[in-house]
Amino acid sequence: MRAATETKSERISASAEAQPRIRISRAGMRYDAAQVFRDIDLDIGNREVVAIIGPSGCGKTTLLRCIDGLLPLTSGELRLEGEPVRGPREGVAMVFQHFGLFPWKTVAQNVAYGLKLAGRGADAIAAKVAECIELVGLAGFEHYYPWQISGGMQQRCGLARALAVEPRVLLMDEPFGAVDAQTREILQFELLKIWEMRPTTMVFVTHSIEEAVLMGDRIVVLKGRPSTVHEVVEVDLPRPRERRTLTLPRFAQLREHVWSTLMAEALRAEYEVRK
Amino acid sequence: MSEAGAGALQATSRRRRLAIDSPVVLKAIAGVLLLALWEGVVRAWAPAYVARPTGIARVFAAVITDPQFVAAAGATLGAVALGLTISLVAGTAVGFAMGRIAPVEWSLRYYVNSLFATPMVAILPLLALWFGYNGDTRLAVVVFASFFSIAINAADGARSVPAEFLEVARAFRARPLGMLFEVIVPASLPYLIAGLRLGAGRALVGAVVAEYFVSIPGLGYYILYNSRTFRHDEAFVGVLVLVTTGVGFEAITRWLTRRFLPWHRRT
Ligand SMILES: Nc1ncnc2c1ncn2[C@@H]1O[C@H](COP(=O)(O)OP(=O)(O)OP(=O)(O)O)[C@@H](O)[C@H]1O
Ligand SMILES: [Mg+2]
Repeated sequence: MRAATETKSERISASAEAQPRIRISRAGMRYDAAQVFRDIDLDIGNREVVAIIGPSGCGKTTLLRCIDGLLPLTSGELRLEGEPVRGPREGVAMVFQHFGLFPWKTVAQNVAYGLKLAGRGADAIAAKVAECIELVGLAGFEHYYPWQISGGMQQRCGLARALAVEPRVLLMDEPFGAVDAQTREILQFELLKIWEMRPTTMVFVTHSIEEAVLMGDRIVVLKGRPSTVHEVVEVDLPRPRERRTLTLPRFAQLREHVWSTLMAEALRAEYEVRK
Repeated sequence: MSEAGAGALQATSRRRRLAIDSPVVLKAIAGVLLLALWEGVVRAWAPAYVARPTGIARVFAAVITDPQFVAAAGATLGAVALGLTISLVAGTAVGFAMGRIAPVEWSLRYYVNSLFATPMVAILPLLALWFGYNGDTRLAVVVFASFFSIAINAADGARSVPAEFLEVARAFRARPLGMLFEVIVPASLPYLIAGLRLGAGRALVGAVVAEYFVSIPGLGYYILYNSRTFRHDEAFVGVLVLVTTGVGFEAITRWLTRRFLPWHRRT
């Protein structure tokens, strides 16, 4: 079982070496009234972490939904492992800003949700659930309900649920946006550790410049209305990224760079008069 | 307040709970007083056949073991149970369709609301003509009385399933049936229980009123018949069984809520 999945994923990555895991070309999306983004070109490689940052309402969540296949693009094209995305796909998992845990399910049942839908057997599910719960540091809380545990633990559960389906692409929509600052920091480093253990392609949406620099191999800055890719910042910080990474001079430089790019926009938006 | 002060206050309140003004004791005292008042008033002023606590107590055992009474109670409560089951299944199905499929909602909303507001007693004569002067009419009345409150609540529940749950289910590639049973049903469970509770009360009233009108054996008819033949103590035992059933429904819904919805109040 295990060997079979391994060879399968190796085959996929071998054949995909030439092509990126995710290829977004001239992507545009509009809701009825408003164009949210347009002309987004972005290739995301295997095991690459791309952080997406931009002002509130610029369409980060929308873009992530499109990548997940929850929403169709209104123009352009989106390919995953070479195939056009037409709906939620196997091998892609999302972690939600609002956690999205089912309150009537326990931690273990929530983690098992994706596996159950994938039609795994009961034994395989139990083993995988235990493994993922351990991995995210929730051991001992299997039988608690979401409302009984803290926000940080709820998001650990959301992360475990996503990891359980062994995704090749992890989509993170401001996963730590709703937890307090200390918890956020703890979770960031734990996520980095988990990523080192099982690196996947990751698209990480965030509001936090520090978080973007810490997580990303590249940072995509979205700007404008409708928004477009304003800049792609290469983050040449060494991995594994750890607490020490925060103290590197290069980290500060990159942070300042992204800051000035974003803040010019934020200031302009702040003083903008609606017509 | 100092910690010692708070502790002292807690101690007094704990002591007071055992005292004469604790809720349980007060409840019991009030009950005894009400029974005594009832007994006294009836003895002093009412004719001999009027029901009074001691009279009811005297006939209680005989009535409750009377095969005819047991059959009557079984018929009524059986019809309520069957009718409620029909309403629960059909009402939930219709309600979910209304709550999740806009055209169904647009077509049915107005009529379901109107029928919910229609006094069931008002159409009883019509139902009796359609279904005959027999148990079918009682069943029809029970279903009519409970169906719409269950359907309306199910529709409200299905409509208010948080979009985030549906998105999560879709992201994990849930199929439509999985979506229904793993997301929509549990998320609307609080509404379903509320609808069932409302419907159960109306169903009970409906069954009794139907028996008054079409004169078929049952608790309602038992009460009516014994009232008319001046055996009010016996009639009142029938009332007590209905009260117990109503209270039982309440207890069941409260238990269901505690058992299945511990998450509901907190989210
Ligand atoms: N279902 C929808 N229908 C219509 N407009 C929508 C819908 N969802 C989002 N929008 C609009 O599209 C724009 C982008 O929304 P989106 O949630 O993608 O932004 P975001 O970058 O994720 O914002 P935030 O940082 O606040 O999470 C917003 O102006 C929003 O109001
Ligand atoms: Mg968002």
